[in-house]
Amino acid sequence: MLEIRNLHATVEGREILNGIDLTIRPGEVHAIMGPNGSGKSTLANVIAGRDGYVVTEGEIRFDGKNLLEMAPETRACEGLFLAFQYPVEIPGVANLYFLKAAVNAVRKYRNEPPVDAMDFWELIHERMELVQMADSMLKRSVNEGFSGGEKKRNEVFQMTVLQPRFAVLDETDSGLDIDALKVVADGVNALRGPERGFLVITHYQRLLDYIVPDYVHVLVNGRIVRSGDKSLALELEEQGYALYNEEPGRARRVAA
Amino acid sequence: MRSTTRNPVAPAGWPLETVVMTVTAPVLSDRYRSAFDTFLANRREPDAITRSRRAAFERFAMLGWPTRQQEAWRFTDLSTLQTIDLQPPADALVDATALPNLASAAHRLVFINGRFAPGLSKLAHLPEGTFIGSLNPHPNPSPSEREAEYQLDRLPGLSQHPFAALNGAFWEDGALIHLPRGTMLETPVHVIFYATGGDRAVYPRLLLTLADSAQANVVVEYHGQGRSLNAPVAELHLGDGATLAYHQLQEESAQAFHLGAIRLRQGRDSQTQLHLLSLGGQLARTDLEVLLDGEHAACLLNGLTVGRDNQAGNYYVRVDHAYPHGSSQQLFKSVLDDKARAVFDGMIHVRPHAQKTDARQSSRNLLLSKQALANSNPRLEILADDVKCGHGSSTGFLDPNAEFYLRARGIGAAQARALLVYAFANDSLNAITLTPLRERLTRLLADRLALDDRMTEELKP
Ligand SMILES: Nc1ncnc2c1ncn2[C@@H]1O[C@H](COP(=O)(O)OP(=O)(O)O)[C@@H](O)[C@H]1O
Ligand SMILES: [Mg+2]
Repeated sequence: MLEIRNLHATVEGREILNGIDLTIRPGEVHAIMGPNGSGKSTLANVIAGRDGYVVTEGEIRFDGKNLLEMAPETRACEGLFLAFQYPVEIPGVANLYFLKAAVNAVRKYRNEPPVDAMDFWELIHERMELVQMADSMLKRSVNEGFSGGEKKRNEVFQMTVLQPRFAVLDETDSGLDIDALKVVADGVNALRGPERGFLVITHYQRLLDYIVPDYVHVLVNGRIVRSGDKSLALELEEQGYALYNEEPGRARRVAA
Repeated sequence: MRSTTRNPVAPAGWPLETVVMTVTAPVLSDRYRSAFDTFLANRREPDAITRSRRAAFERFAMLGWPTRQQEAWRFTDLSTLQTIDLQPPADALVDATALPNLASAAHRLVFINGRFAPGLSKLAHLPEGTFIGSLNPHPNPSPSEREAEYQLDRLPGLSQHPFAALNGAFWEDGALIHLPRGTMLETPVHVIFYATGGDRAVYPRLLLTLADSAQANVVVEYHGQGRSLNAPVAELHLGDGATLAYHQLQEESAQAFHLGAIRLRQGRDSQTQLHLLSLGGQLARTDLEVLLDGEHAACLLNGLTVGRDNQAGNYYVRVDHAYPHGSSQQLFKSVLDDKARAVFDGMIHVRPHAQKTDARQSSRNLLLSKQALANSNPRLEILADDVKCGHGSSTGFLDPNAEFYLRARGIGAAQARALLVYAFANDSLNAITLTPLRERLTRLLADRLALDDRMTEELKP
């Protein structure tokens, strides 16, 4: 469902992605691991269509369609979801309104009527239970004053409500304790199915104990240097990335 | 005024105003004086009122039209207004459907070009001693009318405001609202000033007196079509323990000039909320002078300007803390698109004995275009030493990260921006507790920002 071919991308004129090839079929969960600054978030942002990330070569197809030609909102309406590494605070917009606006934007794109209020309410409550989110978070402004963990939980909550066909999770596990980590995994596992694909970006293998991936890729300096199954994650955990000849100083910035 | 007192003596605690003559004040053409003489000749009213008109006119004659050299008018561009050959007000017919509605039960006063329109107004039953109606003197005033009229033009402040002076000279009519001691008026009072353009200069008046412990909810709206100068003056007197929620909506035509003044005086333990929303006019300025004239008086000033094209919106605010334990909270916001400009000039003055004052001021501006411009000029004059005073201002563009976040969830770029703007501005409207008004303003704001119908549905508070 997602085919990335020979993807090169620059940020502020600097080449960050140096030819990525990746094919994800429906039902598959792929994990991407790699050191800080290797280009993981850049890949996620290029997929989501963020400004400032310039694709200089290669292509991305989503269900055969040229993804790179689509505006970010079109990508979302087509069923793509990005759980942000750094979710944005939006003062004055209540979480609940935001979600409903998002759900209805997608429905409008599909020429469907706005969501039925009762159906929406039921879905919201079911999903809130799944991610163990407090009722009070619905009325609060999107991510405003949320703790790091609450923000990540909110990303997963949105994902489970929007039910995308393909989701990219960018370090959704970073900074979470084990209970919160399980919540993230529960969210992904609840959606997991033969029609859906996931790209799970993570720094640590422990998330992959709960979201068992079909494939693991190692991204170093903007290239996938190795791919394998879940045992690769364990190997990385033990040996680190030193094996992959990371050129020090290149494409490296802590917590980009 | 039918008062026997010639020169009302200011109660203790009122500020001493010094009138400064400026050499730059332009010599006033004789046109104004002859217009004033004609105006007076056609009015039959008590001597006291005539005297106050003359005093106001002389004040104007001395002040002249403001110039950009004067600090208070430096940011207000009157050059277009000055080229207009302003006409006196005239009667006009306005269809009732052109006028806004509030709650069906509201007491409603409508003024067309500053003149009371009884046919468009509606007054429900009023409590004993309460008066709501036209200010225009008539032969048999009730005691409460008389009591209220004693208060006309007696509030301090804005003595340097040429348009307030013009209003004092030329006002034809206005709204008079008087509540006797302890009266709680739950039904809102809805006052509509409508101007029909034709380059007329209109000087509507509003006089509100809440005696001790009285409570009122007032909505004042300025609407109209075509080009005119609207220079209203509102005087709000609150006795001890009185409570007022006052809402001003300025939604005049895009050609209109609005140069208004509000004076507010609050007694001990009184509380006010002033909500000021400015959407219309090519130039809309409101000067607001608040005197906290008793211990524990509290006011909340909540202003919002939404401007586009070449619109200019100005708020000049002065809060005078005259007694201890007063509280004032000011929040003025603007959303500016195209070449719109906003000015917020806010002065907090704390007198030497006004200890334990809590005064806050914040000005926040959201610019939607690179040509839009916001000026914030916070000023503090604190003469007491045990006070909490603070001010802050910020001006910025929409957050591109927030926009991307919304778009990444499927919301289109234009809607995402509108939603963010709406969120910024709606914050101000949320502070309005009068539900039918808040709901109407929320819709108005959503329309103005061209939020998608479906989106507006989502945003209903
Ligand atoms: N918006 C941006 N502006 C400037 N540099 C960026 C931006 N995003 C990423 N980079 C740079 O690209 C490189 C890769 O960053 P990133 O994709 O965030 O890595 P990762 O997510 O793997 O830690 C880093 O050197 C970072 O400094
Ligand atoms: Mg990253």
